[in-house]
Amino acid sequence: MTPNQCPDLEVLFTELEAGEGSALDHAATCALCSAVLEDHRQLEKDLYRLADPLPPPTLVANVMARVATEPTPLRRELWAGIPILVASLGVGLGLLITNDQALSQLGAALAALVMDGKGLLQGLASGANALWSTAAGPVAAILIILLIVSLSGLKRLVGDGPNPSQA
Amino acid sequence: MNALTFDPIGDIAQAIGSLMAEEAPTLPWKADVLAARRGDPNAFEALVRSVQRAVYGLALRLLNSEAEAAEVSQEAFLRAYQNLHRYDESRPFDLWVMAITRNLCLDLLRRRTKMRTEELEPMKEVLPSGEISLEDGAIARQERQSLEEAMTTLSAEDREVLALYYVQKRTTKEIAQILGCAPGTIMARLFRAREKLRKKMTTEEPT
Repeated sequence: MTPNQCPDLEVLFTELEAGEGSALDHAATCALCSAVLEDHRQLEKDLYRLADPLPPPTLVANVMARVATEPTPLRRELWAGIPILVASLGVGLGLLITNDQALSQLGAALAALVMDGKGLLQGLASGANALWSTAAGPVAAILIILLIVSLSGLKRLVGDGPNPSQA
Repeated sequence: MNALTFDPIGDIAQAIGSLMAEEAPTLPWKADVLAARRGDPNAFEALVRSVQRAVYGLALRLLNSEAEAAEVSQEAFLRAYQNLHRYDESRPFDLWVMAITRNLCLDLLRRRTKMRTEELEPMKEVLPSGEISLEDGAIARQERQSLEEAMTTLSAEDREVLALYYVQKRTTKEIAQILGCAPGTIMARLFRAREKLRKKMTTEEPT
């Protein structure tokens, strides 16, 4: 077989990974391809014997000295969040104060909430009462399961501490 | 006991328990990360110690300069600390720091005006072999040295993939996470890098 008929090396290697293919069949009978494959095998063996160098002994100390001058990551997030919160509140309040119509709308909305909230609470209480009197057992079971799942979740949260990246 | 018995509360509790049990052994860095976020320096030091060799190794392979590799490694750990609140602890900590290190190295390489001329010299005595033993003869050492030298002549992209796969024994999935590319492309990159290395080694061999 002449070199011109040899397959592309990348195809050969892809088939080598897969374990079968026409290029691999060709390589089994081609001295040139077999030699290339053998070269790669040997090279891989040599490469596997290399190792990472040891870092300078002072690396950890130098890193920790620089870290010591930094604020703690949690505090950093807090400091980044406070200006955003203050700016948002400032803009919101500013808009409200400078706009009479918005201020009167806010007052009306608060009054409506108080009035509607009373009716809503009464409706919810009578609904819960009716549900309890017709299916007390299943409701109690659901509430208990809900409580267990919530407590487990709470326990996990407390155990892991705060996670600012998910906040 | 009947296997078909249904116990919803027991099952839920068991499921929650198994979820928590599965999570614990796969995230060994998590406790240190959480403690470091709260400002515990010992926890962060433990994290640095656990990955310093891999981080420095990658930096040295990419930069071919001990001083720069040490500087970049320090900077990478500092950046990691500064951004610890953004780190997703479900992802391996070492891969995250390695990705930071790689980005810093590539930035530095881009800034360099002369890349090739300054590289070869410091590597000769710096990089050790994986097997340090008395049986390891002078010929083997020489072969490894020429392999290291040939590696330094490759591009940074080729060097990093070879170093991560063969030297650090990372999986293609891990390498893909560090390089920020699809895992399916890693094997092809490895083959190409190895072929370039083979050609370098072949031309370097004495006739």
